[in-house]
Amino acid sequence: MIGSLLAQVESLKDAASAAGQTQDSAILGEQFYFFTVVIMWLIHAGFMSYETGIARRKNALATAMKNILTIAVVTPTFYYFGWWIYNCNQPGLPIGPNSSDFTAAACQGGIPWSDAFGPNLTNNINLVFFLAFLLFSWTTASIMSGAIIERARLSAYLLLACALGSVVWILDAAWGWSAGGWMTLRFGFHDSIASAVVHGVAGAFTLGVLLNVGPRIGKYTREGLARQFRPHNLHMTLLGLMLIFTGFYGFYAACLVIASTAFPGWANIYLSPTTLGSIAMIITMGFAGGFTGGYFASRGDPFWTVSGGLAGVISVSAGADFYAPTLGYLIAMGSAAMVVYIGNWIEKSMRVDDAVGAVAVHGAAGFLGIIWVGVFAAGYPTGVNNVDSSIGGQLIGVATFLPLGFLTGYAMSWVMKKLNILRVPPEVELMGLDVAEYEPNLYLPEVAVASEQLVEPDGTAVDAAVVLRTARDEVVI
Amino acid sequence: MPLLIDSAPDCIVHKEHYSGDDIADFILNDNFADCAGFGTFMPGSTYGDDGTGAETLYMIVTWVGIAVMVAVLVAWVVYENRRLVAAAAGFTQTEPPATGPPPQPGGVGDVR
Repeated sequence: MIGSLLAQVESLKDAASAAGQTQDSAILGEQFYFFTVVIMWLIHAGFMSYETGIARRKNALATAMKNILTIAVVTPTFYYFGWWIYNCNQPGLPIGPNSSDFTAAACQGGIPWSDAFGPNLTNNINLVFFLAFLLFSWTTASIMSGAIIERARLSAYLLLACALGSVVWILDAAWGWSAGGWMTLRFGFHDSIASAVVHGVAGAFTLGVLLNVGPRIGKYTREGLARQFRPHNLHMTLLGLMLIFTGFYGFYAACLVIASTAFPGWANIYLSPTTLGSIAMIITMGFAGGFTGGYFASRGDPFWTVSGGLAGVISVSAGADFYAPTLGYLIAMGSAAMVVYIGNWIEKSMRVDDAVGAVAVHGAAGFLGIIWVGVFAAGYPTGVNNVDSSIGGQLIGVATFLPLGFLTGYAMSWVMKKLNILRVPPEVELMGLDVAEYEPNLYLPEVAVASEQLVEPDGTAVDAAVVLRTARDEVVI
Repeated sequence: MPLLIDSAPDCIVHKEHYSGDDIADFILNDNFADCAGFGTFMPGSTYGDDGTGAETLYMIVTWVGIAVMVAVLVAWVVYENRRLVAAAAGFTQTEPPATGPPPQPGGVGDVR
């Protein structure tokens, strides 16, 4: 009798202990994602600084405001339908033979009127996990924003940001960046820290938009040679990149799943084991290799050196959960060097005016990243079906994400172009967006009267006034 | 009694004093003991219960938010278009000949 009672007491103690551990684990996870979100805000401070520094002085405030207002529109759209897309479309599209199970609890957590979106005593994770994904969404939009500065309308950008941040990237994440996504379950597609899922798709979308928005007035000579617009504050740009790099540590951490009561405590997004230390190591080696590759490929150009660091990290993200540090270092170095050449080719041969090199740095490096997994890291079980990573699976990813990003960006911006709501009027572009959209007297008089300069293809710096007005009169946008 | 709107779900009870059933003496948990989600207009149901989350009021509030979001996006396009068209017209009228430096904020071409 007493023995039985003691056994019951012990059983109750065990149950209480397990429940306590579960609660502790949930609260630890809640705190973890919360702080990744805080750190990831630096990415957006960085993008704002980065792009504003690149812009000419007459467009600085408009550029910064565009970045800030990304948050105003992508946040509600991601809440109202983006999270639903991720949670309810992992097996495929909503309609069709592989349509989703909308009664699943995970799907319910994505519906905006779910009571998981509020104070809920039985769910510590949904909201902070949602916020981490929301920050990824802002990032995709910010990748596009820099490329189209100084001529795209704010409202056009905001609509495109909603499409990219709350539909396009999160759909590809549902398919290839979840344990239950069809690309993962069937093909072992592996992109653990979102090389292509975030960066590649955003770069492809951006390329589609750039083809419709066109170059800035005066960017190309009559012969098609590229001029250079001088950044109004390159130091601000470099600072912005450093802020982005800092925020990337939060981004990487937020891509992991924390389960402190289960061995080994961490999993990648496909629920396969990894450690926080390993991905932090790869990101750091990626920066080192990327800076080095960017420096030598660009012959010491500061912009491409620092952008090379970003490209290097992006290129090792897909396999950051299992790369050896040396492999990460070498992949990043080679990828960053390739990105410098790709960026110059896009500008000078394709004649696409990408003001910040986003298509090369994010798009090219992102897709290179998933290909490198197929080349250097095949054979790792991925997803709940434990399908091995392979070059075939990774190429499925390229074949899916590239058209998904490019075609949606191209189609949407094409419609906007036809409606004449994509680009600012030429008069406004010449005068500067700040004067048209915001406060006309932004600068001290001695700064305001400094004339704008640009660099001709032969390297000569000239006064921009006559060149730009001539270009405006010649070019049909 | 609330002055205007009682948006608390029915699962919340209203006890006047600290209860012995509270889990800790600094969290007045007992009032919420029957609740899961208890935000404003929420149903107070358990998350995922029978695959349903919300009841009428919470869903209406959500759809109001969606309608406002769409309206804001449309308004942004219309409002900016008006500003840009007006600014372009003003710049065209005041544009100086293309022989000197371009007008700068606060300079000759500043129409505001």
